[in-house]
Amino acid sequence: MATFNMKILCTTLSKLSVNRVTIRQNAYYKPPKYRPPHWFMPKERVMSEDMLTQENRDFIEEIKQEKLNSQSALESPLANVDQQTVKWNYYTRRVGLIARKIGNYPLWSKDGKKFQTTLLQVVDNHVIKYIPPEEFNPMRTKKICWKEKRTLGCLLVGSETVDPSTVTKDYCGIFNSVGMLPKRFLFRFMVSRNAALPTGTPLFATHFRVGDYVDVRAKTIDRGFQGVMKRWGFSGMPASHGVTKTHRRPGNIGAGGEKARVWPGTKMPGHMGNRWRTLRGVKILRINTQHNILWMLGVGIPGETGAVCYLYDTVLPLKKLKVAPPFPTHPASHDLPLEYYDESIHPFEEQTIMFDEA
Amino acid sequence: MALVIRKPAIDILSAAKWMIRKDCRALSSLVEKAEEAEKRPVGRRPRFQNPALEYRHIFPEFLPDPNPKWRNSLREKMERADMLKRRSQIDIPEFYVGSVLAVTISDPHAQGKTNRFVGICIERKGCGLRAEFTLRNVVDHQGVEIRYDLYDPTIQSIQVLRLEKRLDDKLLYLRDALPEYSTFPFDMDPEILPEGTPVPVNPVQVKLKPRPWLERWERQELKGVSNIEEHLKEKDRIRRELRKTPWEKYDLMKEYRKTIPVEDQSEIWGEVHNQLNQLRLSRKKMFKKRPISTPKPQLG
Amino acid sequence: MFRSVLNKFYYNNLSCGLHTTACLNEVQLLTRLRVVDNSEIGKRAMAEGKPPKVICVYNKKRIGYIGDRVLVAIKGQKKKGILVGLKQIQNVKVPKFDSNNVVLIDDNGTPLGTRIHVPIPTILRTILKERTHAKGADYTKLLSIATKFV
Repeated sequence: MATFNMKILCTTLSKLSVNRVTIRQNAYYKPPKYRPPHWFMPKERVMSEDMLTQENRDFIEEIKQEKLNSQSALESPLANVDQQTVKWNYYTRRVGLIARKIGNYPLWSKDGKKFQTTLLQVVDNHVIKYIPPEEFNPMRTKKICWKEKRTLGCLLVGSETVDPSTVTKDYCGIFNSVGMLPKRFLFRFMVSRNAALPTGTPLFATHFRVGDYVDVRAKTIDRGFQGVMKRWGFSGMPASHGVTKTHRRPGNIGAGGEKARVWPGTKMPGHMGNRWRTLRGVKILRINTQHNILWMLGVGIPGETGAVCYLYDTVLPLKKLKVAPPFPTHPASHDLPLEYYDESIHPFEEQTIMFDEA
Repeated sequence: MALVIRKPAIDILSAAKWMIRKDCRALSSLVEKAEEAEKRPVGRRPRFQNPALEYRHIFPEFLPDPNPKWRNSLREKMERADMLKRRSQIDIPEFYVGSVLAVTISDPHAQGKTNRFVGICIERKGCGLRAEFTLRNVVDHQGVEIRYDLYDPTIQSIQVLRLEKRLDDKLLYLRDALPEYSTFPFDMDPEILPEGTPVPVNPVQVKLKPRPWLERWERQELKGVSNIEEHLKEKDRIRRELRKTPWEKYDLMKEYRKTIPVEDQSEIWGEVHNQLNQLRLSRKKMFKKRPISTPKPQLG
Repeated sequence: MFRSVLNKFYYNNLSCGLHTTACLNEVQLLTRLRVVDNSEIGKRAMAEGKPPKVICVYNKKRIGYIGDRVLVAIKGQKKKGILVGLKQIQNVKVPKFDSNNVVLIDDNGTPLGTRIHVPIPTILRTILKERTHAKGADYTKLLSIATKFV
């Protein structure tokens, strides 16, 4: 009974809203330094018991299905646009992709070498919104921007459609205003003016080509509070020879005299992992167009299996794109080959590798 | 879309489910006897009743790593598809630890660009495309071991010269055994078992060389070693007793973490069953052309 | 009483200050090797039960890998040799041997013996060809005295 009362209390409290918001008008007021972009909304909703009848539940389910169907039936806005109107050049910045890391396994090259690869799956990515450079007003940072004019626009891309009833109203509103269903992940890409895409454009793994190099940005594995041996690779102290209570401790952390204090940046125990890291210049070895999977060379992509990562065209000058990629993106088409392989990679369905007598 | 989402709650739930019906968990090695009992009433067609029971020994690499941190259904599916593609190119036969194999690879370093090695399989590990096996032989009184990737595209052929099992899961103790137990001639003739016979278990017990050994074999409860007691001191026997873990075979949770649940397995085998069966049939046709010889008396 | 029994069981799990991992079997300073050619000095050293010791590995890491040149102390003399087989865990398709094998050579790369009586890995063929330079030592003579490749 008590819990039921609590529930009622909670629901009534959550429905309370403040109608009058006082805005300070005095001269001393300064806006807060941290101003998140408008799409940074609280996503998780507190689920409450709605006491719906079975019929109402069915009705809601029906509506959801209808919306989902209409969403999947949406035609790509690129289908009617002429691709040739916009040209790619060396300095344009294209949109990237949001992908999930799903594991790793080896591929073999045509000269019999084994390469470890990481599989990234691009799960239904859609363009949500484009904000042109004039209107885009990002949050302030300490860095002074000397550029008086902003040249890059902001493109919001979402990934993985979710049930609208599981997210907050505010978060849902971002998507509702452009006629899309809410996505689990929303991310912004800074793009050139001519690389802008209309709302609702689906993005596929074929946005990149086999043999291209990309930068992958993701959060590293969260290891929690770690000591100095694991976090910074210190060697610790001996296990014996009279050492007591200092086997895994850092030892000395500073000198005396003039600098008799701990210097900033000293390596100490603390939280390890769970921070954004970018791995630059990762080669794409293979692409599956059916499941939208990318095989990336190497196992250095941050995060554990199931982590979300963001892919961009690389910024490394030697690995940057030389020839025009699919621009602004690769349009949806059904007559693509199932798999693309890099020319160095041996497809599994091909004959056994034989070496000729030199 | 939602393939990649994993919830820990599901793991716990399935663990609980598994605990409840532990009598029909047909996965751990403990339940071999139960399978025997199941087979008997079926009568004449016992072998293909449940492919999971059969295939998990023949193709162990099709089962993914049970660590839930690395599981992903889509990745496993792609991996299996690639494995089947490779299997359609070369015939990877059924073999076990203890079988004698001949592997021919294309080797850029060798003269003639091919290299053949014959040896006894002493270890088999890894899942999916990472599966590998180790062959051991003694050539010119020098023990040689070579590790191969099972799905390496440079492997031209894998031939089973003698199909049998041994008493242990790993034969790493052959490194410390007398050399005649791991000596196999390179021109060995393949011994073909008659159709339908179960894979024989070779009950040979090897003799170890005196110590020092590479590992403490006395602590591993090996069945295939005959003279381990001669080399032990009283100290070793006491320590062996201290380190015994007799409770581990009752540790259901540990067993659960090491194995793939039967629901997952039946899904996997249902996916690959047809193609594997076709490959098998085509291989059988090939074998019928050859004459059948009786297995030779076993080594040792 | 119960406590002592419990301690005995836990002794297994707690770290007891010993290595529990497998050793790496690296060829480094003072490793004993096995001479596998039929040179006179090598044969006598092995027959007397005094196998050669490594006193230098000629590479940056000072850990010998397959095909590396080593300096060994054998019967009171210093001789050079080439590692032709290692006990260490090897890459896929590269053979691992039960002993660390060495073939003695002189400064020009000519082997002291006339025959190698154990199999040697085929990858040595490529490695030694790479190490041979036009004016320097010629290591490929070692390949011609090998009896068997695996």
